[in-house]
Amino acid sequence: MKQPGWQSLLSFSILFLACLAGFSSRLFAVIRFESIIHEFDPWFNYRSTHHLTTNGFYEFLNWFDERAWYPLGRIVGGTVYPGLMVTAGLIHYVLNLLHITVHIRDVCVFLAPVFSGLTAISTFLLTRELWNQGAGLLAACFIAIVPGYISRSVAGSFDNEGIAIFALQFTYYLWVKSVKTGSVFWTIGCCLSYFYMVSAWGGYVFIINLIPLHVFVLLLMQRYSRRVYIAYSTFYIVGLVLSMQIPFVGFQPIRTSEHMAAAGVFALLQAYAFLQYLKDRLTRQEFQTLFFLGVSLAAGMVFLTVIYLTYTGLYVRLLTCYAKIHIPIIASVSEHQPTTWVSFFFDLHILVCTFPAGLWFCIKNINDERVFVALYAISAVYFAGVMVRLMLTLTPVVCMLSAVAFSSVFEHYMGDDTKREKPPEKAEEGLGPNIKSIVTMLMLMLLMMFAVHCTWVTSNAYSSPSVVLASYNHDGTRNILDDFREAYYWLRQNTDEHARVMSWWDYGYQIAGMANRTTLVDNNTWNNSHIALVGKAMSSNESAAYQIMRSLDVDYVLIIFGGVIGYSGDDINKFLWMVRIAEGEHPKDIRESDYFTPQGEFRVDKAGSPTLLNCLMYKMSYYRFGEMQVRRGALTPPGFDRTRNAEIGNKDIKFKHLEEAFTSEHWLVRIYKVKKLDNREPLDHKLRSVVPKQKYTSKKVPLMLGGEFALQVWRDSFRFS
Amino acid sequence: MFLIECKCPNGMYCPLFKVDQMMEWSSRRSVVRMNGDKFRRFVKAPPRNYSVIVMFTALQPQRQCSVCRQANEEYQVLANSWRYSSAFSNKLFFTVVDYDEGADVFQQLNMNSAPTFMHFPAKGKPKRADTFDLQRIGFASEQLAKWIADRTDVQIRVFRPPNYSGTIALALLVSLVGGLLYLRRNNLEFIYNKTGWAMAALCVVFAMTSGQMWNHIRGPPYAHKNPQNGQVSYIHGSSQAQFVAESHIILLLNAAITMGMVLLNEAATSKGDVGKRRIICLVGLGLVVFFFSFLLSIFRSKYHGYPYR
Repeated sequence: MKQPGWQSLLSFSILFLACLAGFSSRLFAVIRFESIIHEFDPWFNYRSTHHLTTNGFYEFLNWFDERAWYPLGRIVGGTVYPGLMVTAGLIHYVLNLLHITVHIRDVCVFLAPVFSGLTAISTFLLTRELWNQGAGLLAACFIAIVPGYISRSVAGSFDNEGIAIFALQFTYYLWVKSVKTGSVFWTIGCCLSYFYMVSAWGGYVFIINLIPLHVFVLLLMQRYSRRVYIAYSTFYIVGLVLSMQIPFVGFQPIRTSEHMAAAGVFALLQAYAFLQYLKDRLTRQEFQTLFFLGVSLAAGMVFLTVIYLTYTGLYVRLLTCYAKIHIPIIASVSEHQPTTWVSFFFDLHILVCTFPAGLWFCIKNINDERVFVALYAISAVYFAGVMVRLMLTLTPVVCMLSAVAFSSVFEHYMGDDTKREKPPEKAEEGLGPNIKSIVTMLMLMLLMMFAVHCTWVTSNAYSSPSVVLASYNHDGTRNILDDFREAYYWLRQNTDEHARVMSWWDYGYQIAGMANRTTLVDNNTWNNSHIALVGKAMSSNESAAYQIMRSLDVDYVLIIFGGVIGYSGDDINKFLWMVRIAEGEHPKDIRESDYFTPQGEFRVDKAGSPTLLNCLMYKMSYYRFGEMQVRRGALTPPGFDRTRNAEIGNKDIKFKHLEEAFTSEHWLVRIYKVKKLDNREPLDHKLRSVVPKQKYTSKKVPLMLGGEFALQVWRDSFRFS
Repeated sequence: MFLIECKCPNGMYCPLFKVDQMMEWSSRRSVVRMNGDKFRRFVKAPPRNYSVIVMFTALQPQRQCSVCRQANEEYQVLANSWRYSSAFSNKLFFTVVDYDEGADVFQQLNMNSAPTFMHFPAKGKPKRADTFDLQRIGFASEQLAKWIADRTDVQIRVFRPPNYSGTIALALLVSLVGGLLYLRRNNLEFIYNKTGWAMAALCVVFAMTSGQMWNHIRGPPYAHKNPQNGQVSYIHGSSQAQFVAESHIILLLNAAITMGMVLLNEAATSKGDVGKRRIICLVGLGLVVFFFSFLLSIFRSKYHGYPYR
């Protein structure tokens, strides 16, 4: 490693292998199942991308989707971050231009793994700026395989986060670079990367608050320099203008309170720079008077702004935060929960224990860019503690700081003393080769355990498409349960093109994407009252539900039922959330307590509450289930629900307004058709045909008489029927 | 009117008098304490034109009922909100029966758990829904108020006395820091002390990675004591939850591993006696290896199916 050539070749190949490892460890799902889009949100992204590639960019921006949120519809172009779709569409376009014909689905499936490779490279660059090349390489290796990032970027999970983490890391790299050099070139690069981030993910708010915080802390630490001034002034102005080009963001950057910190720091930086300038020009006396004048003026301004904010934006903001905690639909999403230590350890393993050491080294040897990484670590760890989902923003910084910690240990323990060029001094020598090699071995062992853990977690926890399920027999052979696609394909083939399908909101995107049918609610949960109406229909009895379904023009109802195979994520297990959301909007009609037994339990067997046993969801789930003997030993009675381990309480289910249309192979998806209104009931007896008396009447009258008589008879029959 | 015309069984506690008596008591204290005798006369005996909410509880310290105390606080908040609201009337009263003052009432009502909230309506006997479902809904005053509105049509807006403890703590902290700065005003070098700042940063990091935020939001118990054999378990069996004690253990383990890494680095970089540095190095290595394997074994005990047992 004496020549620089060898070193760069080695770095390059390590980096390349890290990218390769990152790419291939995300392919578990594709190899086990097939190249398929996963979960829920990716289906919407895929559908939008498909729309983009078939209809062009401008058509996509103006897209009004009348197939979602029936009868309201959704303006898609103005309510999405288009970065993901545009990236995939662009790659598809370029490949086709080169006559490499790829289906857009394959581009979508493999986009996240490809971008994880790019993330590894940008993490390497950022860590190299912060510490040194070795730490950078370690960080690239860590981020390539760490489960906290893999959870959002396996092949097939075509979601915003997959490309956003790359944009985040690259923006930070360019920012650090521009603070270091003070050159407008790097800053413009940073702005462009920031623009890409804004177009890709709502998490750009993290950047636009962290960078001002960095500048502010630098000012506090009296580390102000021209470089910081140039970097931040350019970044704020250009970044602001660029971010406002995204339709979904629009004028938010100058209106909402999340972006106010950036504006405030911008003003502060200008004032500070102006004072610095005056300091050189004026005498001490003049400067002091001017300083006090300026400070009092600024204090007054700040005071007024605070009052203004309190009475307008901030107050409302606090209220919305309150609402976020107390609206059931937000509480029902498992990603919005705080994080236990187990999830930290599960997602980061050894890194979570060692990255504080890296933070320690960074703060002990502080400089401008290490201030940045320290702030990044502290803010990200706070947000990750509040919400499981934000573990994603913590993961890159954990990788970088752990790499710093490990690399500084390896640096001191791996090198061979005897082969150094200049003979070491007495005091520096001494730990001895034995201790050194023991330390190195044990550290490598820890890293090996980390790699094993990462592979295990990726393979077991994060590589399930959740559209296709797999179960394993005792001898290890695998059963594929493809019920979802079976049912969606049935919908696509056997129903009217404009049929409206009611389901719980989780399945909205999948129905739209795979079955291509109109849905009432979907995963873009923007209209709570509409969702509550669907929840109310599901939790009412059949006749009340029929009225709601008639008023919403529902043709089919789709539910997920896991009682046959023991699938725990089915609609009965989600049912309480439907009741809660419905209760929030219709407290008079739906009450959560009605669905519990007197002991306060939620049971589906005979002891369950009668309201539950007669509600639409229960009836649809268990229709004809009482006749079914689930083969699982001979002892289980017919109608035994394997998910809830109970024999169902209502085996005699009959429908008046619905009929079963389709049930998939393992009963996982059941589809019911909503009947049209019945014909009027036929009369009990025939209309009497009266022989008209012709004797004394003209030709016109008998008809009238007959008509009157018939009318009379009809009235009577109506009265008595 | 109904009040005047009614026939009173014992002459004295006719509804008119009863309600006046109740008004007088509740104007003195928002929650009326009852013993067995009073309970039978004012709550059980039929001629009544007011609803009564009764909390059956065991507040005596020797009963060791910590839930009762929490429930009592919530109940007091609710009763005070009602007592001092503009809608206060003689339609609804809040009372409490302590087990040690009215054990006979508990026997009479066949009640064997405390606390229990019951509503005695003005007319008729209490139904099933007149017993508050404590297990499921909890005993927050807002939930109680909702239940009362459900049973009696009396809407109570819960007004909690503002909690000053946070403000006081903040003021104390600010004054402490201010005082420290004032005392050390001649020498402000310590602000530039990197070790102090690094310590503070690590404290935040350790607190978050050990799930203190989860504790703060979810409020789990400190540890779990098995009622059968009295064994105390500090580690929650499931990976979805944790105890406070557990998160403290994890905090210490994480800190120890970090310290081990720092010591390893110190041993290699510091210029000092070789033997001393060797010891530091070995201690650091031991900290990392031992505590990480300890952490791993705790994780395994929580995460069933983790490989390589």
